[in-house]
Amino acid sequence: MKLTLWGVRGSIPVPGQSTVKYGGNTACLEIRYGPENKLLIMDAGSGIKPLGDKLMKEDLPKGPIRAKLFLSHTHWDHIIGFPFFTPIFIPGTELDVYSPINYEERSVEEIIGIQLSYQYFPVRQSELAARITYHSLKEDTLDLGDGMVIRTKFLNHPVSTLGYRFEYEGKSICTVYDHEPFRNVFPSDPDHEDYDPAAAEEGQRVADEENARIRQFFTGADVVIHDTQYTLDEYNQKFTGWGHSSFEYAIKAGHQGRVKQLYFFHHDPLRTDDQLEELVENYRRRIAGKTSMRIGLAREGVEIEV
Amino acid sequence: MTAEERIVKLQRYISTMPALPVTVTKVLEIANNPKTSPVDLNKVISLDPVLMARVLKLINSAYYGVSGKVNSLVRAIIMLGINTVKNLALSSSVITTLGTKSNFQALDPQAFWRHSLGVGVTAKFLARKRSVDPSKLEEYFIAGILHGIGKIPMNNIMSEDYVEAMGIADRQKMPLHQAERRVFGFDHTYVGTMIGEAWKLGNSILDTIKYQLRPVEYEGQYSDIVNTVHAAVYSVTVAEIGFSGDRYPERASDHALNALGLDESYLDDVEDEVEEEIQKAEVFLRL
Repeated sequence: MKLTLWGVRGSIPVPGQSTVKYGGNTACLEIRYGPENKLLIMDAGSGIKPLGDKLMKEDLPKGPIRAKLFLSHTHWDHIIGFPFFTPIFIPGTELDVYSPINYEERSVEEIIGIQLSYQYFPVRQSELAARITYHSLKEDTLDLGDGMVIRTKFLNHPVSTLGYRFEYEGKSICTVYDHEPFRNVFPSDPDHEDYDPAAAEEGQRVADEENARIRQFFTGADVVIHDTQYTLDEYNQKFTGWGHSSFEYAIKAGHQGRVKQLYFFHHDPLRTDDQLEELVENYRRRIAGKTSMRIGLAREGVEIEV
Repeated sequence: MTAEERIVKLQRYISTMPALPVTVTKVLEIANNPKTSPVDLNKVISLDPVLMARVLKLINSAYYGVSGKVNSLVRAIIMLGINTVKNLALSSSVITTLGTKSNFQALDPQAFWRHSLGVGVTAKFLARKRSVDPSKLEEYFIAGILHGIGKIPMNNIMSEDYVEAMGIADRQKMPLHQAERRVFGFDHTYVGTMIGEAWKLGNSILDTIKYQLRPVEYEGQYSDIVNTVHAAVYSVTVAEIGFSGDRYPERASDHALNALGLDESYLDDVEDEVEEEIQKAEVFLRL
């Protein structure tokens, strides 16, 4: 498999001098595999725009574009690039879009397609030339029948969010974003006015079990792309419950899951290139000699052979 | 309308079945509050059988390998996240506010709610008294509060028929489920089972709904819960805690009481505890 990172930023695109090295586009990954160089895309953040441009230039001359697009979830930063993904305007394009189920029973098509309505965009969804098929996903295993097997696992974020594990010829790439470690949200302090010992105990057990299931999900993966929007201090002081992980958590969980290469992903929009580099150098020093896992910053434009 | 036609109509209605009008004000208040505590969210959902079933449906149908296994709201709130559960509660309750007036023409919603909650509280109380593992108590409560969920769609969309069934039961002094069968061709446990299956409710809940009237026929692994809810329904009905349409219930099955090691004096213990719990819930819901 070849993995290309087209967007690594969290929350909102942030172009500018302080983000030029690691990139300002929001989530989008390209995975190519097999003799036919098949195309899978993870997320349609603003990074899908330059990916679309490349497909138009390099793939379209060889024949119609066929791709599967997997969405981690439907928050803006993960779908905002969709209307600007040029292949959807090209007759002959075949695109399958997969997205986590929605509690309201609104269709994926409606949720994504709302961006392509009169008020927001000049082209309406019904006018798109491509053949687009929408699919709802739960926790499941998809066997694409060509050696590629994709597993999904629900993560912890304020909307239904799936992590994906792509497995091909014994290698695996796993996405764990947007994700905050599960935690017991019920009071565990016996002096708390709402303390209920049964709920406190059950809550802790469930959180521990779910975190273990997610570790199990990415265990042994060659590459894990993990949400690390915050440092542990930031997380503890201000951002608990926002649906994102800390660098410290990702490192610990990745090490426990015997991950080979961990990429820090979903960089906070306010984090500058210099700050990112300082952080990662610091973490490298702290884990030196203690783990065989390699760590690094996800960086826009980077190609990774897996 | 034939029984088959009624079933098709009920089946269609189940997917959009609203939360109870009794809890709606508090649900909206809690779900609209950006700082809602998980404790309050848990509390308000556990007081509404429809909402509770919807939350369990969502988690049991979406997570791999947990189908029918999650019987705990605490677990559901942590796994689905507070935000998702709040939005689910909100969307279920909005339907209610649109449809309140025309619903519940036969059964009084508040009385039905008191009965359902009473059975949940009693089932939990009986289980605690019999030293059931504390981590299982919530399952008894949930099976209890959901036991009569099949009455809701029958009452909501076939209310004239339901009035007729209640009338027959009253005039002929028969248990309501017999009158239901006479009018509808099936009873509320049949409709409840349809909901339980469609919504993938846990097996202990499903079996309770299905066998609550005839625990002696039950051969599965949840007989303790089935028997307990059976006994709880009887005690809450004769104590007239709330009202679910049944003035002449059959006596509690000796089979169930023997299996639980209870004699009829259990009825005396239940009432005070249950009334107190219901009052607490009413204060919380500001009824």
